[in-house]
Amino acid sequence: MISNIQNNKKITFFLLFIITFILYFYGKEIASYFDAKWIIKYPKHYIFPISKYTSLFVKWLMDEATFGIFSFRDLTRFIAWLIQQPYNLILALISKGFLQGQGQDAVEILPPLSWISVITIIVSMALYTKDKILVALVAFAFFYLVIFGQWESSMVTLSSIIIAVPVGVIIGLILGILSYKSEILERIISPILDLMQTVPVFAYLVPILVMFGFGPVSALIATIIYSMPPMVRTTLLALKSIDPQIKECGLMSGCTERQLLWKVLVPVSKPTLMVGVNQVIMLSLNMVIIASMIGAGGLGYDVLASLRRLNIGVGFETGVAIVVLAIALDRLSQAFVNIPARKRKKNISFFKKNFNIITLFIFIIVIYLLSPFLPLIKNFPENLVFNTSLFWEELVKYININYYDNLESFKVTLLTYFMLPIKRFFLGIPWPWFITILTITGWYFGKLRLAFLCLVLSLFIVVTGLWEKAMITLYLCGSSVLIASMIGIPLGVWAGVNARANKALTVFIDTLQTLPSFVYLIPVVMLFRVGDFTAMLAVILYALAPAVRYTAHGIKNINNQIVEAALICGCSPRQLLFKIKLPLALPEILLGINQTIMLALSMLVITALVGTRDLGQEVYIALTKADIGRGLVSGLCVAFISIIADRIIKSGSNKLKDKYGMI
Amino acid sequence: MKKNPKLICKNVWKLFGNNPKDFLLKHNNNPSDDTIKKEGYIQAIRDASVEVFENEILVIMGLSGSGKSTLVRCMSRLVEPTIGEIFFEDINMGEISKKELIEIRRHKMGMVFQHFALFPHRTVIENIAFPLEVQGIGRNEREKSAMEIIELVGLEGRENYFPKELSGGQQQRVGIGRSLAVKPELWFLDEPFSALDPLIRKEMQNEFLRIQSALKKTIIFITHDFDEAIRLADRIIIMNEGKIVQIGSPEDLIMKPADEYVKEFTEDLPRERLLSVKSIMTKDQNSKYDVTVYENEKVFKIVEKVLTNGIVRVIDNNNKTVGSIDKETVSRFLYN
Amino acid sequence: MKNFFAIFFSIFFIGFSSSLSAVESKDPIKLTLHDWTGQLITTNIMAEVLKKAGYNVELVPADYIAQFAGLQTGDLHVAMEMWETTGRDAIDEYTADGRVVNVGSTGMDAIEEWWYPTYMKEKCPGLPNWEALNDCAEAFATPETSPKGRYLGGPVTWGGFDDERVEALNLDWEVIHAGTDAALFAELESAYQRKAPIMLWVYAPHWAPSKYSGEFVDFPPYTTECYTDPSWGINKNSAYDCGKPRGPIWKVASSMLKDKWPGAYDAVEAFTLDSNEMGNLVASVDLDGNTVEAVVADWMSSNEGRWSTWIK
Repeated sequence: MISNIQNNKKITFFLLFIITFILYFYGKEIASYFDAKWIIKYPKHYIFPISKYTSLFVKWLMDEATFGIFSFRDLTRFIAWLIQQPYNLILALISKGFLQGQGQDAVEILPPLSWISVITIIVSMALYTKDKILVALVAFAFFYLVIFGQWESSMVTLSSIIIAVPVGVIIGLILGILSYKSEILERIISPILDLMQTVPVFAYLVPILVMFGFGPVSALIATIIYSMPPMVRTTLLALKSIDPQIKECGLMSGCTERQLLWKVLVPVSKPTLMVGVNQVIMLSLNMVIIASMIGAGGLGYDVLASLRRLNIGVGFETGVAIVVLAIALDRLSQAFVNIPARKRKKNISFFKKNFNIITLFIFIIVIYLLSPFLPLIKNFPENLVFNTSLFWEELVKYININYYDNLESFKVTLLTYFMLPIKRFFLGIPWPWFITILTITGWYFGKLRLAFLCLVLSLFIVVTGLWEKAMITLYLCGSSVLIASMIGIPLGVWAGVNARANKALTVFIDTLQTLPSFVYLIPVVMLFRVGDFTAMLAVILYALAPAVRYTAHGIKNINNQIVEAALICGCSPRQLLFKIKLPLALPEILLGINQTIMLALSMLVITALVGTRDLGQEVYIALTKADIGRGLVSGLCVAFISIIADRIIKSGSNKLKDKYGMI
Repeated sequence: MKKNPKLICKNVWKLFGNNPKDFLLKHNNNPSDDTIKKEGYIQAIRDASVEVFENEILVIMGLSGSGKSTLVRCMSRLVEPTIGEIFFEDINMGEISKKELIEIRRHKMGMVFQHFALFPHRTVIENIAFPLEVQGIGRNEREKSAMEIIELVGLEGRENYFPKELSGGQQQRVGIGRSLAVKPELWFLDEPFSALDPLIRKEMQNEFLRIQSALKKTIIFITHDFDEAIRLADRIIIMNEGKIVQIGSPEDLIMKPADEYVKEFTEDLPRERLLSVKSIMTKDQNSKYDVTVYENEKVFKIVEKVLTNGIVRVIDNNNKTVGSIDKETVSRFLYN
Repeated sequence: MKNFFAIFFSIFFIGFSSSLSAVESKDPIKLTLHDWTGQLITTNIMAEVLKKAGYNVELVPADYIAQFAGLQTGDLHVAMEMWETTGRDAIDEYTADGRVVNVGSTGMDAIEEWWYPTYMKEKCPGLPNWEALNDCAEAFATPETSPKGRYLGGPVTWGGFDDERVEALNLDWEVIHAGTDAALFAELESAYQRKAPIMLWVYAPHWAPSKYSGEFVDFPPYTTECYTDPSWGINKNSAYDCGKPRGPIWKVASSMLKDKWPGAYDAVEAFTLDSNEMGNLVASVDLDGNTVEAVVADWMSSNEGRWSTWIK
């Protein structure tokens, strides 16, 4: 009976496969035979002008919508003003100084904190965690910023992080708590979060500009939108996974609802919540470049400007500044979660208890008072600034001149035998059949719900007339993910079995993920010219990380007893890996690939800058033409692709986990 | 002697599923087990009625899934019963406001949890003072009371430790301390010792009895361990599949098990160590034998006396003769 | 302590308030900065001139197209370079309801055309005449386009009708679109380092024509009819059988500028530079390594006669 079902399944799969291939090879002939060209190309006059309506709607919203006493525009401007205030304060404190007046009329009333003070504060925070390595790391990172002359820009960037992260964390926390309390709200919020995470930022930059005005505030809001969703999700997860007994204990102690929340639930889930905070920090720093396009300034602007001048070296140095800032803040925030609990000492005077803080405070005041008189304190001396940009430029030039031909032949081979067949495949399948296959896959993994989701979302792509671009997106994303997995999974396995490799790889991967892709995009263009291959390389570099991380995690988390059992049975290391570890880590690896797909899709928008012709380009064109509707609609198409991929892979992974009893 | 009931459960039901209230109403508030199953409901508690008397230790005993935890949570209103009434000191718990419920919990109830449920971010003293903190009692005052409790549960010197720095037994001492912080009248203990090693468990049971002998609370104690139930209980409730199978003293359960299910628990127990003379003696106030034993002595302690003398007189604590016990009765009891 | 701040405050404030002069409003006029040097220079010159007139000026980095949203709402006020060749659609769209206005030409003309480095002349002596393109298509070919020549066009958003042009002039060339101009010039830099073949879209004023030696291809000159009337030109059946238009670089402003700072509006309107002048300024920054501020200061001091008439 069972083998029968298995056989039936196999036959079904085989049949579907054959049909797909036939349609791929003879689709055109079949279409012309039946005189049904619509099979190959969705007819233009059936395209539903959703983007036009979207644009009109946003225009109406901004120009006419009103709540009676105040208009929608008043509301958004008020929000912008609200965010502007603390931002100005921080910016003044660490970067610009307190100014009186506007524009060049402005007069500095109080200078900003000296670089010495800022570094002292940050290093003291690291010292507080009692982690010597962290202290060294943080000090190194911030001295890098000083020595490479990035201080001013990085303080502008840091100010926006200092605002965006807490706002994102607080909003995320509140939304998480609300959706924990109300299941209806959870159901409403969840798909919105999906969209926030998958719609490319470029797609909503223009609407944000229209609503919140031009400048750093809009950039902050875009950053918050992009970085907040993980906070909501981790909050919800953290609250849900609290031991019910803890909650009951709070209730039995006579907590009111508010006491239960703030004295019990939130503090108890702090370690998990901090994971969310961490995500918010990293994602905010990922946004630095894009934010600078709409007026955030700072490091992002420096990267863009230097690359525009083809100043690869400066671009690289600035990019690294973003990386060190990200890593320092990330490690610092993680360390704060793990600060060993300290015993409360009793009967110590306030002064003694806060001795360190008071010393720090005095030191900063002294430096502050000295700063108008000692230029060294105010600004790091310019002649001590390091500059390696020439080195990087020469390096790229050297590779370019000496190895270009080798790289070229490598590229041509990969292009001809790997990428082009995939491209032809995706473009060759008639869209009705592709949707059918998607729906069947959805059915197989997630029954009616998932099948319905796949059908509706892919039909949306068809009726908006973006099918062909979506297929190119799939091809680029697909080939990048394939290669990223082929590189990432072995690396992950290596990291999973070797602790030292793990450490080195973690640093490598963190760098890849936080280094703005623009930094390597330009050298890659120089070596490989514009086109799909270059785009693919950039995507692979960016999307590699989760494949490595999840694989390593999956391998490391295998129950040790199972490994021992396998060893007792006489497994060789090789057998252990292939027969035990990899299969058991498979659900986790699948999730890693899922994340890789998500990152690849989010990167595709940026690769539009090197001339791809996919949905990313569509979004980018809409941005440069300030076409709100077109941007949002093509952004939604990207989001829908990733949502379909995400749902199918997650159901697959869960099915496997369920089978292995790992849930 | 009529004891005062502190807490009364009247016909409490708890079903899980869609609109269980309507379902019960449809079936006259008494659906059969089959109907419940057939219509996709899960029966957690079926028609439970209990009275808990002042100052007694009432143990609710059952295997996992028997509904004992749910019953206790209904009593403390952590879980809403589907139907049924619960009276605490003549207050109908179903009719009071949220605010009143919070007040009752703040002053009259305490609960100990199986997995301790300590707050990992608070020290021992902060954990124990927590119920006082939520009442809004000032720091000095609440820490003073907490210190008394810390002494009571034997954790002096560890008040500034964090939970993870303590052993399991110590952690549960904190849990016990915290539940006693408000000096509750009704004390719930939900499998408090199940997560501990056997040796520690025994030590904690003794500790528990010691504390109870000093405090004299009304206690509802859950366990899945029959030995523990017998050791601690004044009365035991046996639950199975959501139903109360039997309520009675340990002796009652051993001597007169209500059904096969209860019998299975009691069969292999060392009865001579659990039962007292009272439960097997012949009631005969006129017996005149010289050798005496007390009615509350456990049987194994008097076996030798009876075997040497053939028959002995049983007296109560006031030296009043209450009955007798002979060689045959003892042997039948021992070897049956 | 309090005293210290007070002194601090008063020194700066008094010192400054003396330089106030009579202008319509002391609110800052916001000029947008983009990411290419020429625009930075134009904008900085304008800013310096406005300052001399007593206006309060603020420079804000902004995206070339995205800035229109800000100009429309009055969050931004002046954009100094809006190229006919790349900004026409946006200008039309946003000036339609009058909230953004075209303040006239900067006096600079944009050139956009096919361009090749001088060393390619050896391999294709017929250049710069466009008719030579077909003869040496293979010299410009890459494995992906071979045997056709490879022409690296601008981002599709720039328009330019290169695909149509190749078709109309019957060229054996394939048009590849770069995504951004950074990518465009990265390829040029790379090819130039290797002295490798390249033909691409270059525009001026820009630093590239100064940094790399090369020439624009001579196509049949642009006329309006060429783009609209198929029968015009060499190919009687097709439009676009000519070179690209060369158009002015416009200044645009928010309508608020005229209402609130009419004097400043006049100054912006009067501003002119010419293309060669700009080419030299750009080269001085990008090739000689001077800062924008220094180059602008230099220009200000040597051209006082010109800019002082703008703010009369």
